[in-house]
Amino acid sequence: MAHYQPPKQGKASQLIDVVVLVVLTVGALFVPLWLGLAGAAKSVTNPVTTPTWETLGQTPAQSAKYEALGYTPETAHDLILARFDYSFSIGALLMMIVVIVLYYVLILRFSEVEYREVISEKFGE
Amino acid sequence: MTQVDITSPTMDGMGPHGTKVGLLRVLGPAHVWALGVGIVLVGEYMGWNFAVGKGGAYAALIACWFAGILYTCVAMIDSEVTSTVASAGGQYTQAKHIIGPLMAFNVGLYLVFAYTMLEAANAITAGYLFSVVATMSGHADALDQRPFIILVIMFLAWLNYRGVLATLTFNLVITAIAFLAIIVLFLSTSGILGGGIMEHAALFEGHELPYGWIGVLAAMHFGLWYYLGIEGTTQAAEEVRSPARALPFGTLAGIMTLLIAATLTWYVCSGVLPWEFLGDGVNGSVAPLFDTARLSGSTALVWLLGFGTLFATLASANGCINDASRAWFAMGRDKYLPGWFGAVHPRYRTPYRSIVFLVPIALIFALGAPLDQVITFSILSGLLGYTFMPLNIILFRRKWPLNSIKRGYEHPFHPLPAITLLTLCGVTFFAVFLGYGTQLVAMVGFYIVVSLWFHFWRYRFVNRGAQFTMPWPKPQGY
Amino acid sequence: MDLWNWLEYGAWALSALFGLHMLVDWLKTDSTYSEDVLTSSREGELEAMAEEHKVKS
Repeated sequence: MAHYQPPKQGKASQLIDVVVLVVLTVGALFVPLWLGLAGAAKSVTNPVTTPTWETLGQTPAQSAKYEALGYTPETAHDLILARFDYSFSIGALLMMIVVIVLYYVLILRFSEVEYREVISEKFGE
Repeated sequence: MTQVDITSPTMDGMGPHGTKVGLLRVLGPAHVWALGVGIVLVGEYMGWNFAVGKGGAYAALIACWFAGILYTCVAMIDSEVTSTVASAGGQYTQAKHIIGPLMAFNVGLYLVFAYTMLEAANAITAGYLFSVVATMSGHADALDQRPFIILVIMFLAWLNYRGVLATLTFNLVITAIAFLAIIVLFLSTSGILGGGIMEHAALFEGHELPYGWIGVLAAMHFGLWYYLGIEGTTQAAEEVRSPARALPFGTLAGIMTLLIAATLTWYVCSGVLPWEFLGDGVNGSVAPLFDTARLSGSTALVWLLGFGTLFATLASANGCINDASRAWFAMGRDKYLPGWFGAVHPRYRTPYRSIVFLVPIALIFALGAPLDQVITFSILSGLLGYTFMPLNIILFRRKWPLNSIKRGYEHPFHPLPAITLLTLCGVTFFAVFLGYGTQLVAMVGFYIVVSLWFHFWRYRFVNRGAQFTMPWPKPQGY
Repeated sequence: MDLWNWLEYGAWALSALFGLHMLVDWLKTDSTYSEDVLTSSREGELEAMAEEHKVKS
């Protein structure tokens, strides 16, 4: 089998390739940020109007620690009561699974094609 | 027949295909340990406590141990493959030989992004530390953190540029100090030396599992942070004197160190800090070990853990620059990326162009993106990489069974570690989905786009047979 | 102006210095050596040779 001869890449073309990669990378991080889709925020669902350590659900030992850290029931209110929301839709979960599985299938398929070519050239058939 | 002396700069036997200037073989097992643990240890000083916020203190401990199992599998699998495929580029080169070029390209990118993002996160944390010290020492206005963030990245890049031995010796020293600081904190607060201040039972009362069991699952997301980066030891393969021994030894010693450090960290922090405060890494406890030291009432401990935190961020950023540039360099050398990056400095013997190129990239993220996003980007890239590893080892054992080639280290119980690892990765994907689902899909979308770009455009510049460089027999089944 | 303001300037200056040093050395290296020498590094049979002292000539 004839060996594959890769073309020599010129300086300009190398530069373009680098720029493409950098743009894609920065895009992957910043586009979700710009669209406001990123991140899981905690929120307080049941605020307490007159916070004391007891109404915030803290035992004396726990409230002593908060006081040692410099908190009062008022300043610790949001910190203590904020919770994550772990509800999700089955549809979104299925979509994530499909995307990830598709991704790995895609890579493994293409890799296999390229790998066979490498092996047959290296070990000569 | 040429004379070969692997420690000689000119005849180190690295050039079977005509290498004139290659990387320098100067490192020992201690450096490998320092590289692995140095990158990760910052995770005990900050970041792991988000796991507490996700599910409570017990959930964080369960996540700590399950993530520990995940990483033990990673370390075992990695040690076996890398003691056989010893080359700069680590998992990238493994993927190239075992699964195929496109997988290798993706793995190379996982590595570069995981490490560059982690480096950015470290620089942000170091900048924050400087501002805390400034406020504590009576500085009136808010400190401009930018020059300090830039200085951290510039200084460490410069150190890396000038040579790998100095870089990793520096890492060894500061990592050891940061690790000892955790031990000292544990000994002096747990009651082993002097009076103990641990109040686990009282602090957990009424808050055992605030989210129930789904919180335990969710905590796995940040459970990874206790150990993220230990797999980076393989990047040093072309620079250690005896890869077959030093890499498995350094990696396995590293994971043991981290299991100890992670458990001790959880123990002291959760015994002193209430979980709501501990679990909020933004408004609550940014640096939990440091906060624990503050509550201990000992000024010496505050200073020790303050320096420990700073050293841990520096060691981590330093190791990240080292690893990211090795992976980028290895891809350039194979023309997966422009060949221009595959250059080695003739005097310092480092991949200098890759090191310099990654500096502005790290700066963009350190100065332009919020910390939790940067961390999530890093964790996701890492997670995709861990998912690749079980596939890698299964194919490795299938294509080259145990007696067909010489391995420096063989991991036991195959395929149990691979299956465990794959299962835990699945759980972690679900945990990430609970908090950062869109991010996850955006990331995978990015990798799909670059994969297509590579397959249909970039791969034409790559030599086919020549990229398979290991002296192995033909794989079975081909 | 207190100590920390000076430290800010110091950090800017040091960053510039490190950056400049890398940049100058990089350009010097690139113009002194030929591209062939610089990019001659190849992935090799490190392990086999280092451990078994067998060299392909």
